[in-house]
Amino acid sequence: MAENPGNPDSMPKHLRPLSPNIQIYRPQLTSVLSIANRITGLILSLGAVGLVIWLSAAAAGPPTYGVVQSVIGSCAGQVVLFGCTFAFFLHLCGGIRHLVWDTVHGFELRSIYISGWLVVAASVLLTAAAWGISLLVAGWPQ
Amino acid sequence: MNRRSFRSPLARALGLGAAKSGVQHWWAERITAVALVPLCLWFVASIIAHSGSDYAVFIAWIRTPLATSCMILLLIALFHHSALGLQVVIEDYVHSDVRFVAIVGIRLGSYGLAVIGIIATLHIAFGG
Amino acid sequence: MIIESSDQVSRFSWLKRFPIPRNFKVTPESRIETGRTWPVSADAKRVKAFEIYRYDPDFGANPRLDTFHVDLDDCGPMVLDALFWIKNKVDSTLTFRRSCREGVCGSCAMNLDGTNWLACTRFISDMGTKAVIYPLANMRVVKDLIPDLTHVFAQYAAIEPWLHSKSPEPEKERLQSPAERSQLDGYYECILCFCCTSGCPSHWWNGNRFLGPAVLLQAWRWLTDSRDEATGERLDVLEDPFRLYRCHTILNCTRTCPKGLNPGKAIAEIKKAIGERES
Repeated sequence: MAENPGNPDSMPKHLRPLSPNIQIYRPQLTSVLSIANRITGLILSLGAVGLVIWLSAAAAGPPTYGVVQSVIGSCAGQVVLFGCTFAFFLHLCGGIRHLVWDTVHGFELRSIYISGWLVVAASVLLTAAAWGISLLVAGWPQ
Repeated sequence: MNRRSFRSPLARALGLGAAKSGVQHWWAERITAVALVPLCLWFVASIIAHSGSDYAVFIAWIRTPLATSCMILLLIALFHHSALGLQVVIEDYVHSDVRFVAIVGIRLGSYGLAVIGIIATLHIAFGG
Repeated sequence: MIIESSDQVSRFSWLKRFPIPRNFKVTPESRIETGRTWPVSADAKRVKAFEIYRYDPDFGANPRLDTFHVDLDDCGPMVLDALFWIKNKVDSTLTFRRSCREGVCGSCAMNLDGTNWLACTRFISDMGTKAVIYPLANMRVVKDLIPDLTHVFAQYAAIEPWLHSKSPEPEKERLQSPAERSQLDGYYECILCFCCTSGCPSHWWNGNRFLGPAVLLQAWRWLTDSRDEATGERLDVLEDPFRLYRCHTILNCTRTCPKGLNPGKAIAEIKKAIGERES
């Protein structure tokens, strides 16, 4: 607020400016992983809608299911699926990190940074493993 | 005197007082999260194991009692967790009156979609 | 890569700022304009550029960024020394809060190279090639580097930071065992510089209702004090979707505390205490 409650008569004639916040604040592992957890959560919410569409298509019968499968199997669909997989593993690992924090463990800066980098590494590895195994099981897509 | 408000800083900080609630939301988020860890891993593992399978194999898999129940539990936990998380996101960024409408809409939409998913799963499991 | 304590300055950063437009969500009166570059003295050998946020309420123009060149051979080692050098030798209107010059009063808290810290305990040599100095993030600016802390101090008053007792007063002291006293360690040392609160994105978006890490750390200081007898009432005052639960464990607070305290942990303790009394 512009007014100085201690001395109303000394109020400036104009509103005090707000110092910059996100425009200048340095991104750090803490804030970047936190916003990544939120963004992946939003992506997965959309993924949940996709899950329901997929299940409904399967319930509707082979023709509808085939349409949905061809969309998923398309180039764009596979890219989206890959993104969703990475988002899932990042949100999963980040979520487990949050659950550990809820027991009030791992709050020293050293632990925060180690667990943070572990989350990133685990997400990348799990995504690669998931897609690797999937391609082995299914064979390379035509 | 063009001050916008003569309310004291303390009164402004106290606002409408504490809601004295909020822990239920916090617990529900954690419980659904703990439930989602095994359920999601089961789902992802199943999808990977069935990569490249056709419609008949997929239907046979969902028809098994374990898969049906896990899928239904997954849908319930997923949409409840999603509704809670999206509510927090809206509360963080939306400050106009649209907030209440958005939160109600998100909640109703999430639970509606969960029901649709559950019905679809039951349809597959018990349908002809 | 692994930060062991908050005074570690990361030499390398992937990003200097989030990839958003420079004037994202900036209201007209807060828009920063280009300022002037002040002359450098000819016989200075080691010179460092300082880009400093300026705002003059008497003049009414928008804030601007002025560039000063500091003669490092003529100036002490800390950023506060550089500010004094500029004020004494170049521009006497440069205004900033300061008092103890040893990191115990919290007056000189400001944003140095993108993170909040005390100017008197940050070495000039730890700053970037061009040192960038802004006031504490997301605060109304009174003048130059001076933030208006009225609201955050009002939030502090709102948690009633004094001993609440119901039992009759003891004859002499209120007794406390060494173990009970150690519960206060890491919380009583807060100097109320508000570096943490100013660096919390949740407080940026909801600062009017979210209490912020500094105030919540002090709330925990009183909750964990064995001599206090109003624990339940204190938890009632805190249990609110905005006052407490806007904290999403972003942990910018713990990363930036110039005293090495852990507001994130204190808030987690509060949430755990509230969670525990549910069952």
